[in-house]
Amino acid sequence: MTLPPPSGPPTPSGALHPPGAPTAPLAPTEPFTNRPVLAADVEPLRDEHFIGLDRRYLLLSLGLVGAACAAAVVVTAVLAAMAGNRGLVLLLGGAALLLLAGLAVFTVASFRRWAYQLREHDVSVRRGVITLSVASVPYARVQHVSIRRGALERLAGLATVDVNSAGPDISIPGLPVHDAERVRQLITKRAGTGG
Amino acid sequence: MADLSQPHRQSPLAVLFLALKALGSIGLSQQLILLFFILTGALDGRLLPLVTAAVTLLTAVATLGWWRYTFQLIDDQLVVTKGIIRVDRLTVPFDRIQSISIDQQLLHRITGLVKVTVDTAGSDDAEFTIDALDRPLAEAFQRQTLAGRAAQRAAASNNLSTPTAHSDTHLGAASMDALLGGGQPRSADIGDDAGQVVLRHNVRRLVLTALTAPPWTALAVLGPLTAASDQLGDRLQERIPDVDLSGFVWWWIPIVLLAILIISIVTNFITVFTQHWDLTLRASPQALRRTSGLLSKSSRASSPTRVQMLRSRQNPLQRAVGLSTVGLASIGDGDLSLPGCDDRQVDQLRHLVDLPLSAALPLDQRIDRRQVYLAVRNTAVVIAATTAAGWWLVGRWSLLLTPLVLLRWAYVRRYVQTFRWSMSGPLATRSDVVMRVHELALPHKANAVRVTQTIFERRRDLAHLHLDTAAGTVTVGMIPVGLARDLRDRILLAAETDDRPWM
Repeated sequence: MTLPPPSGPPTPSGALHPPGAPTAPLAPTEPFTNRPVLAADVEPLRDEHFIGLDRRYLLLSLGLVGAACAAAVVVTAVLAAMAGNRGLVLLLGGAALLLLAGLAVFTVASFRRWAYQLREHDVSVRRGVITLSVASVPYARVQHVSIRRGALERLAGLATVDVNSAGPDISIPGLPVHDAERVRQLITKRAGTGG
Repeated sequence: MADLSQPHRQSPLAVLFLALKALGSIGLSQQLILLFFILTGALDGRLLPLVTAAVTLLTAVATLGWWRYTFQLIDDQLVVTKGIIRVDRLTVPFDRIQSISIDQQLLHRITGLVKVTVDTAGSDDAEFTIDALDRPLAEAFQRQTLAGRAAQRAAASNNLSTPTAHSDTHLGAASMDALLGGGQPRSADIGDDAGQVVLRHNVRRLVLTALTAPPWTALAVLGPLTAASDQLGDRLQERIPDVDLSGFVWWWIPIVLLAILIISIVTNFITVFTQHWDLTLRASPQALRRTSGLLSKSSRASSPTRVQMLRSRQNPLQRAVGLSTVGLASIGDGDLSLPGCDDRQVDQLRHLVDLPLSAALPLDQRIDRRQVYLAVRNTAVVIAATTAAGWWLVGRWSLLLTPLVLLRWAYVRRYVQTFRWSMSGPLATRSDVVMRVHELALPHKANAVRVTQTIFERRRDLAHLHLDTAAGTVTVGMIPVGLARDLRDRILLAAETDDRPWM
C-alpha cells in the first residue's frame, strides 16, 4: 500500500527555524495520481523482435582476426628462422595462434548475440558473450546520435550508430549505411519530440 | 537602475581575485617545491627579482582577464564574454536559469564585493559564477534576469501540448518511415525563486557529526609520521631517558591506536567545523541551495528536478545517534552532500525531491542466497592462484592469504542477509554490512535500463537489474530474470509516460 503524500513539509527538528519564515508547501503543484500499473499496460521487450547485425560485419571482424593470424604465422616463421631456440619461438607462436583462434570463436559468438530493437519510444541493444546485457534507452533521454564509419567499415558499406544519453551510451555496429542513417534520423526525431 | 543591456565589467578589485585564483591553480606540489627552495636558500639573491617578476606577470594577466570579462543581458539571454587569447562567448537563455544567488566569502566581506552564482539547467555544469561585483550591480542583475525569466516562462506556458496515449510496439522497417514525422514540444515549468530554510545545523549537530565521522582520517598522516619516526623516537628518548625505546614493545600498540583515534577526532572536528559551519539548505520549487563554511562560504545548488538519486550512508557510530549523511546526486556538478541529518530531516529531503517517505517503502525483497556461493567461489579461485604464485616467491608465507576467503564469506553472507530492495514507486535498495547504504531513484528519471546476466546467472535464471540515471546507477543483483525483465519494462513505461520533468 502506498501512503498519500504529506500535506506540507515537516518542521526540521534540532534546527534553527527563522521566525516569520514562509510556510508555503514546496511540493510541485500538479495533481498527484497513483493509479496501479496493470500488467496489460506494460509492453514487454520481446526477444524475437531483436534485429541482428549485417553478416558483412562478421566477415569484417573475422577478416581482421585472420589477418592477425597470418601476421602471427609470418612473425613466428621469421623468428624461428633467426632465433637459436626454435622450440620456444614455435611454442609462443602456437600459443598466439591458439589465442587468435579463441578470439575468432568469441567474435562469432559475440556477433550472434549483438542485436538491436527499435520501438516507438525506446531503443534497445543486446550484446555480450560472457556477460549478456540488454540495455534500453528511451528516446526522450537521448542527448545526441552520431554515425561512425572506420576505413574498413567504409569498404564494407557499413556504419556504427552511437546513441548518447546522460546515462550509459549504446552502440549499434554493423549496420548498412542506409539503415544506419534511417536509424539515426528516427532516434533523433523521436528524441527531439520527447520520445 | 543599471542598464544591463550594455556590457558591464566586474569591480576593478576583481584583479586581486583573479590573481589569487591563478596562484591557487599553480598546485600544491609546485607551491611546496617553491617553499622548499626558499627555505633551503637556493634562491638567495634571486628571490626578490623572481618575486617581482612573478607579481608583475600575475597582475598583468589578471588585469587583462578583468578587462576582457564582460556580461550583459540582451535578447532574453545572459551573455558572458571572456578570454585573453581565445575569446569565449557563453550564452544562457533566461529559461535555462534555475536561480541566481548572491554570496560573500571571506575576501568578499573584506572588500565589500559579492559573488553572483547562476544556476542553469545545463547537462555539464549546473552553475557558473560572476565574481567580484558591487552589490547594487549584482542585485540589479539578479532582479532583471529573474524578471526576464519569469516573462519568458509566462509566454512559454501558453504553448502547452497534450500527451498522447502511450503504446510501445515493435517497429518494422516500413513503420520507421511512417514515424519519421513531427511531434509536439513538451510544456515548460513555471516557478518562482522564493527560498525557504528547510535545514540548518547548529553547533550541537556539528559536534555529533564530527564525533561520529569515520575515525581513520589519521591514517593520512601515518605515512609522514612513519618517515619521521626515527627523529621522533630520538627526541622522545631524550625526554624519557629512563625508558628504553630502541626496540618494539607491546604497549606501543594501544598508544599508537589511541594516538590515531585522537588525531582522527581532532582532524574530523577541524574538517567538519570549517567545511560545514552553518550548513543550511534552502529550497524553493526551482532550486535547492546548500551553503556552509567557516572561513569561506561555499555554495552548491541544484533544482529538485535535477536530483536523480538519493543516497544515504550511516556508519555504526552514526546509527547509534540516529544521524546519516545524505547525498542528493544531481546532473553535472550540483551534487549536494548533507552530513549529520536525522531521520526526520532525511524524510524531509525525500519529500523535496519527490521521493516517498521511509515508512512508505516496504523494502521487503531479498536477493538470491547463491550470491554467497558465487562470491566465495570466485574469491577462492583468485586466492588459490595468488597463493600458488606466491608459494613460488615467498614459500609458505603465501598461505596467509587463505583466511581472506573466510572473510569474504562472512562479508558476503552478511551482505545477502541484510540486502533489501523494492520497487513500489522508486527503485530502492538498502545494504547493511558495516556501513548502512540506502539508494533510491525514481523510474521516470531513468536514462537507461539494463538487464545483465553472467554465465552463472544464465544457468540459474537469475539476472542483475541496473537503473541508470544521469547521476548514478541503482543496481539490484541476483534476482529472477523474469522479474528483472518485468521491472525493466515497468521502468521504461514510467520513463516514457511520466509527464514530470526528469531534469
